[in-house]
Amino acid sequence: MLGVFAAFLAILPVTYLVLRLAQGLDAALLELLRPRTLELLINTVLLVMSVSVTALAIGLFQAWFIVRTQLPWPGLFALLATVPLAIPSYVLALGYVSVFPWFSGFWASWLVLSLATSPYVFLSVAAALMRSDVASEEVARSLGLNSWSIFWKVTWPQLRTSTTASSLLVSLYVLAEFGGIAILRYDTFTRAIYNAYRSSFDRTAAAALAVVLVLITVLILLIERRFRTDYLSLRTSNAKRLRKTIKVMPLVVASLSIIGLLAVILPLGSLINWTVVGGRIFDFSLLVEALANSVLVSLAASVMIAMFGMAMAIWLVLHRQRLATLCEGIIWSNHALPALVIGLSLVFFGANSVGALYQSIWLLLIAYLILFLPNAMAAMVTPLSQVPMAMTEVSRSLGKNYGKTLRKVVLPIAQPGLVAAIALAMLTVVKELPATLLLRPTGTETLATRLWQATEELAYSQAAPYALTLVIIAGLPALALNASVRATYRGVSSQ
Amino acid sequence: MKRRLFAALLPVVLALGLAGCSPADESALVIYAGRSESLIQPLIDRYIEETGVEVEVRYAGSAELAAQLLEEGVNSPADVFLAQDAGALGAVSKAGMLQLISDDLLALVEPQYRAADGSWLGVSARVRVLNYNPERVTDLPESVLDLAKPQYKGRVGIAPSNASFQAFVTALRLIEGDVVALQWLKAMKNNGVIFEKNSAILEAVEAGQVDMGLINHYYWYARAKEIGKENMTSKLAQFVTSDVGNLRNVAGVGVVSSDPKAKEFVKYLLSAQAQQYFVDETFEYPLIKNIAPYEGLTPLSDIPAPDFDLNDLDALEETLELIREAGLL
Repeated sequence: MLGVFAAFLAILPVTYLVLRLAQGLDAALLELLRPRTLELLINTVLLVMSVSVTALAIGLFQAWFIVRTQLPWPGLFALLATVPLAIPSYVLALGYVSVFPWFSGFWASWLVLSLATSPYVFLSVAAALMRSDVASEEVARSLGLNSWSIFWKVTWPQLRTSTTASSLLVSLYVLAEFGGIAILRYDTFTRAIYNAYRSSFDRTAAAALAVVLVLITVLILLIERRFRTDYLSLRTSNAKRLRKTIKVMPLVVASLSIIGLLAVILPLGSLINWTVVGGRIFDFSLLVEALANSVLVSLAASVMIAMFGMAMAIWLVLHRQRLATLCEGIIWSNHALPALVIGLSLVFFGANSVGALYQSIWLLLIAYLILFLPNAMAAMVTPLSQVPMAMTEVSRSLGKNYGKTLRKVVLPIAQPGLVAAIALAMLTVVKELPATLLLRPTGTETLATRLWQATEELAYSQAAPYALTLVIIAGLPALALNASVRATYRGVSSQ
Repeated sequence: MKRRLFAALLPVVLALGLAGCSPADESALVIYAGRSESLIQPLIDRYIEETGVEVEVRYAGSAELAAQLLEEGVNSPADVFLAQDAGALGAVSKAGMLQLISDDLLALVEPQYRAADGSWLGVSARVRVLNYNPERVTDLPESVLDLAKPQYKGRVGIAPSNASFQAFVTALRLIEGDVVALQWLKAMKNNGVIFEKNSAILEAVEAGQVDMGLINHYYWYARAKEIGKENMTSKLAQFVTSDVGNLRNVAGVGVVSSDPKAKEFVKYLLSAQAQQYFVDETFEYPLIKNIAPYEGLTPLSDIPAPDFDLNDLDALEETLELIREAGLL
């Protein structure tokens, strides 16, 4: 069964990492007891916390003013608040350092990651704000509360669930972040793991640091579980949307413009500029080759993900077996793990256990499968579960066997949703950097790895065209698709 | 249905996987290259053009590739290891993974630029230099050890993940001892600004982002040829005579497999044509007779380098440990 196999693949990385660690326990302990580990821990925690808070502030600010006030051009500002999703963080970082060479360290990483992650907060909070009950705010106002008290006592409780959820997303994102932080030269666990892997004959050190990163991830998930609240807003009426006019509107417009400028216009502008300036000495045949590789690899990966995802989704939705739920849980357990850790464990596994897979495209495809199956699976479950049970039952009662029912009834109905989920998986694969870096077959360069190599030499004119191509072919389509996938989600949840 | 879907899609995946990124072709010459792609790929392209041999190159840091070769052991798909410094080659040789190079090829290169046991061979030489911005640095440090002094805080670009820097640290360890070396590295944790590559350091010194940096000589010459010597902001300097900061090193090659094509490739690297490429395109020192270095370079024998046996650079593992202990990696 494909589902069981996928679950087996899913537990592989961490298991192998732990095995590797057990083999070299002395070396691992030596590595972890260094003052350096503490330094990394502090750096990582500092960045995770500061970015979470900042992204939350930015996202809330954008969402509230865009949804709740009579802001001029709300569509434009909503777009500016969402577009950073289309820009991989390492591209954003590149955009910055190519304008300001001195841009590095904690503050640089803080700014870039805050801008890169704030859309998650914005989207989630904006959706919650649109759902939330305006009537109770009006009641509060009629009882004489001022705007601030209304926000804290009435609005905020309704937003808590979405802010907690998106903050979790942001913290996990920052923990797993590799490319952007490395370009901005700030030492966190991911960068240290990569360096330990590259420059240590005993790779146990890298495994030891990776296990610490896994533990932090688990800790964050546990903390989130403690504080998760299930606030259900009581929708009393589809009240008219209240759009306030406020006195400081020019100030708000200015702030929103500055955020948009920093998050979208400045970095993309810089990359366009470098592409134009450096176009003369840029080897476009390499770009075409990398583009072709990116497309092929991600196409292969998405076909594989589709296969497994579909099997899992059908198993989950139509059969509801206990084993299916168990496998689903195992597959999900990986989705918070940094790609770098997955990549690293597969390198160990490949070099020592399955020589035939080593440095082949298969190991890379397995990494993508482990990384992106959870989301694809979730996205596929939704359209499948929208297929009315009654229709499959009618089909069966008319004598069609199981396979035929699936092919003639279930899949056609669910098709648009499924296709969107697969396409989204493919676009996500194109943007993946750390696992690709570790596992790509000899001689296979993708857009992301080419960009990475050029950045290591600070050759911006060579890196910028790859960055732009990534945003255009993967980022923007992913953004559009994401919106449509979210729309189906919302459709289901309101049913 | 599931099985049928699987059966239908599997060939597609297979075809895509194989067509898209043919996994290591059995007949191709597999090169693990620790040198920058921009510096060495043009030469490899010429080789392919002339011989028609199929070549696959895996680019990464020299130390990373050395570690990878050791981890892979006999399973390694590599035929040739092209390293940025003698230390990475020595480390792989120490593990018994390099084939002996034939005497006729060894004889082309002076003994001090190849392995004592004939397991690897230098193909081009380079010198460690101080790259500095004359507007910001007026008093040049006498020794590379001086860079540990407080007045250099945050002013010195270094590339700890780079093989040339690591080779320099090995020499520092062996000449001055581990204690001094560790102290220096720890001081550089404060004084240094970390970059990935030599080229990035030069870029940063040119842009005025850092005041000086430790690099190999040829990066400066390559840049000078590109934009014109008169347009260079930064300059190069050597430390005092015999200072370990002036280390002479080679980029070299070792043969990993018994594939005869590997030996042919080594032979090509030592041909007059390839050596001239290093002179004209990468501004390194050629290592065979009758080829003159790039005009304007101090002759290799006149470099105030320390007297150091490149074979000793094979103690790379201990060096990496020390750099990591200092928290630079």
